Amino acid sequence: MDRGPKGLFRSLRIRAIDTGGFVSGLVLALAVNGLVWGLIIALIALGLSIIFGLLDIINVAHGDFFMLGTVVALVLATSTGSYWLALLLVPVIGLGVGLILERVIIRPTIRQASLTIVTTFGLSMMLQEGVRATYGAQPRRMAAPIEGTIPLFGIDYDVYRIFAAAFATLCLIAFFLFLTRTKLGTWIRAVRHDPETATALGVPVARICAITFGLGTAMALLGGAIAAPITTVEFRTGVDILPFCFMAVIIGGLGNLQGTVAAALLLAVMEGLVTSVTDPTIARIVSLGFMSVVLLVRPHGLFSGATR
Amino acid sequence: MLDGSDGAVALSVNGLTRRFGGLVAVDNISFDLPARRLNAIIGPNGAGKTTLFNLITGEIRPDAGRVKVHGQDITGLKPHQIVRRGVSRTLQIKSVFTGLTVAENVRAAVMAHEGLVSPFRPASSYGAVNQRVEGLVVQVGLRKQLNTRASALSYGDIALLEIALALANEPKLLLLDEPVCGMGPQETEQTVETIRTISESVDVVLIEHDMEVVFAIADEIIVMAQGALLARGTPAQISSSAEVQVAYLGAPEEAD
Amino acid sequence: MTAVAISGAALIPVPTVLPLLGSPFWIDVVAEILIWSLLAASVNLLLGYVGLLSFGQALYFGVGMYGAALSVIHWGAGFWGGLAVGVVAAMIMAAIAGSVAVRLTWHYFAIITVVFSLILYFAAMSAKPITGGDDGISFSVPDVVSLGGLKLSLADQSVQYYTILLVVAGFYGLFSIIVRSPLGVRFMAVRENDRRAALVGINVYVTRYVAFVLAGALAGASGALFAFFGRYASASYMFYHVSGEAVVWAIVGGAGSLLGPLFGTGLLIVFREVISTFWEHYLFVVGAITVLVVMFAPRGLAGAWNDALQVLRRSKDAGTSDTTASSGEQDLAKSTTDATRGGSGA
Repeated sequence: MDRGPKGLFRSLRIRAIDTGGFVSGLVLALAVNGLVWGLIIALIALGLSIIFGLLDIINVAHGDFFMLGTVVALVLATSTGSYWLALLLVPVIGLGVGLILERVIIRPTIRQASLTIVTTFGLSMMLQEGVRATYGAQPRRMAAPIEGTIPLFGIDYDVYRIFAAAFATLCLIAFFLFLTRTKLGTWIRAVRHDPETATALGVPVARICAITFGLGTAMALLGGAIAAPITTVEFRTGVDILPFCFMAVIIGGLGNLQGTVAAALLLAVMEGLVTSVTDPTIARIVSLGFMSVVLLVRPHGLFSGATR
Repeated sequence: MLDGSDGAVALSVNGLTRRFGGLVAVDNISFDLPARRLNAIIGPNGAGKTTLFNLITGEIRPDAGRVKVHGQDITGLKPHQIVRRGVSRTLQIKSVFTGLTVAENVRAAVMAHEGLVSPFRPASSYGAVNQRVEGLVVQVGLRKQLNTRASALSYGDIALLEIALALANEPKLLLLDEPVCGMGPQETEQTVETIRTISESVDVVLIEHDMEVVFAIADEIIVMAQGALLARGTPAQISSSAEVQVAYLGAPEEAD
Repeated sequence: MTAVAISGAALIPVPTVLPLLGSPFWIDVVAEILIWSLLAASVNLLLGYVGLLSFGQALYFGVGMYGAALSVIHWGAGFWGGLAVGVVAAMIMAAIAGSVAVRLTWHYFAIITVVFSLILYFAAMSAKPITGGDDGISFSVPDVVSLGGLKLSLADQSVQYYTILLVVAGFYGLFSIIVRSPLGVRFMAVRENDRRAALVGINVYVTRYVAFVLAGALAGASGALFAFFGRYASASYMFYHVSGEAVVWAIVGGAGSLLGPLFGTGLLIVFREVISTFWEHYLFVVGAITVLVVMFAPRGLAGAWNDALQVLRRSKDAGTSDTTASSGEQDLAKSTTDATRGGSGA
C-alpha cells in the first residue's frame, strides 16, 4: 500500500471510518498529518531553496536526494541495527555526496546556465536507476523506531509521527540559527544577496556555493531519513516529493526562507484536508493550479520579503 | 524624417518622475528639445540620465509625467511600440545580437522595421532588404566585417553595429547612451564623426561623460543632478556655470 | 544540406535494406526514432531558435496522442483526419498555455511548463473513463489511403514506415522553411538578445508565443503519429520524464540545428535498444551521457559536426579570416550552432 503523503491520508480515513471516529477528529488528524509532512517537506524545500537561490539551479534531482535519504536510512538502520545511528549519519553522508556532486558535476556545467536543469535531470536519472540497480526495485517498509500510539482527537496516532514533527522542527530551528548566528551562515546569506559585494568583501564565493549545495543535499537526505519510517522506501519516491518542494519554494517566494516553510506547511495541510473530501490527485491539481497563479501574478511569491 | 519647421519639438518631456522605493531617480523633469539639434545630457553618476532614457523608451513606466516625440504622446507605450514610432536607442553596455553576423544583425533590424513576418519566403530573397542592409553597414563603416560574428568584433565595431541597428529603424529620434564609453582615441574619433553625420538628418540626444566629445558636437546641453534638471544651455554657457561645477566637483573649497 | 542528403539516403531504403540484414524489427525502431524526433524538434525550436527551455512538451505530445486516438475511436476518423485533429488540438492547448507561460522567462518559464504538464497529466490520469489513465486506450488502425482500388494500411510495416517518414519529413521541411524565413530571423533575434529585439521594434512576447504554438504543433504531430504507431494512447506519456528525455535528445543532437533532434533521438534510442538487451539499467548511462554532453559538448552532435567542418575548412584554406569565435563557453540560450548557415553541416 502506498504510504507516501497521499496514501497516508487515505489509510487514515479508512481507519477513522472503521472506528466510527468523529468526523472533526478525522479532519484534525488529517491536518496534523499534513503538519508532520509539511515540516519534513519544509526541511527539504529549504535545501532546494538555497540551491536555487544561490546557484540559480533548478535541481530536478532534489526529490531523488530525499529518496536517497530514505534508502540510506533503511540500509544503515538494518545493517547497524540502530535507526538513531542512521539518522545521525545520513545528513553527514548527504553533505559529502552534495560536496562531491557539486565539484564533479555542477561546477563544470554551471557555465551553461540555461542547461543546469538538464544536468540535474541527468543526475536524477542516474540516482533513480543507480538505486534501482543496487537497492532493487522492490518497495520496502521500515519499522518505526518508536512503537506505539497515543490517542489524539479520537484516533490512535503514531508516536513516531509526533517525534518526526518535533525533530523536523528542531532541524528547521537549527538551520535558521545556523544561517543567522554563524559566520558561515552569514556568508551564505551575503553571497545570496549580493555575490559581487561579497567577493569584494573577501568571502570565498566558490567555496560557499559548494557548501550551499552540500547543505541543501544534506537537508534533503535528512528529510528522507526522518520520513523513512512513515513512507515506502523505493527508487521512485523522489518523483512525488519534487513538485511539492518546488511549490513550497515558489509560493513561499524565492529568497524567502520563512515563506518557504510557511508555504510547505500550508500546502501540506491543505492537501491533507482536500484529500479528505476528494481524490488526492485533485488535491495535487489544486495545489499546482495555485502555484501557476502565483508564478504568473506574483512570481516573487506570496509573502513579502522575497529578495528576487 | 524631420518635421522641417524650426519651431518643431523633437522630444518633449513633462513632469517626468520615477521612484525606486525611497529613491527618486527622476524628479519632475520637464524640457522641450527642439528639432534639428544635437542635444547632450550630462551629469554626475547617479544623476538619473539612463533612467530618463529608460522612461522615454518605455522600458520602465513613469510614476508621473508625459513624454512626447515629435508631438506624439508615447507615454505608457511598450518599448517595441515606441520604436515603431521612430525612436531608436543604443545602450550603455553595447547590446547587439551576439551570435549573429553583422549582416544578420542589421537584416533582423531592417526586417523588423519593414514589418516582415512571413514564415514561408526565404529571408535572403528580399532584394530591397539586402540593399538596405548593405547601405547601413557601409554607412557605419563596417563593410569589411559584413560576415563577421558580432561576438568576434572589436568593442568599437560593436558600438558601430549598434548604431547601424538603431538607424535601421529610420528613426526620427536617436538616443545614444554613452556612445564612446570605453573607447580609445581613434575609435572615439570614428564614432563621433559617424554621430555628427547622422545628426544632420536625425535628431540625436546623447548621454555622455566625455566632455571633449560633448563640447565638440553638442548644440545644446542639459545637465542633470540627483534626478533633477540642473542647468541648460550652450556648451559655452554650461562650461562657465558655477552650479554645474559644484555638481561635478563639489563646493569650491573642496576642489583642489 | 549535406546532412539532409545523407539522412535521406540512409532513411529511404530502410524497409528494403534492413530485412536483408536480417533485422526487420529495426524498421519499427527507426520509425519510432522518426516519431520521437519530432518531439525533440519541438524542444529544439523553442530552445535552439528562440532561447526558451520548455520542460513540458510532453503535454502537447499527449494532447496530440489523445486527439488522434479519440477521434478515431469516437468519430471514426481516418489516419489523416486523426493526425490533423491531434495537431490542431495540440496547437490549441499550446495557444492557451502559451499565452500565459510565455510571459515568464528563464527558470520560471521552465518551471511553469512543467507545472502545466503535471496538471494535465494528473487530470488525464483521473479522467479514466475518457483517457484510460495509465492503462490507456487502444484502437484499431485505420487505412492510410483508401481510394478506389488502392488500399494501404498501417498494418503493413513498409506502408507504416513510409507514411511516418513522409509525415516527419514534411514537418522537418516546414521547420526548415520557417527558420529560414523572416519569422525565423525574428526568432533568432529574440534568442540572441531579447532587449535589443524589442529595441528594434520586435514584439518579443508575440514572437515567443508564435514559436510556442508551432512547437506545440510539432509535439502534437509526434504524439498523433505515436498513437497510430502503437494503436494506443496512455496518460503515462504525459509525464515530465518524457519531456525531459526530449530535452536530452535535442541537446545531444545539438540545439539550434535543423536535423540535430533527429540524430540525438536516433543515437539515444538505438543506444537504448542495444544496451537494454544485456543490461537493464541503461537509463543510468543515459543520465551520465546527459551530464557529460552538457559538460563537454553542450552544442551536441551538430556542434561537434560543425566544429569538425571548421577544422577541415581551415586546413584547406589557411589565411582567410576566421570569423567564427569559439563559442563553447557561450550560454546556450544566447548563442547557437550554425543554424543560419544553410550550406554547412546540418
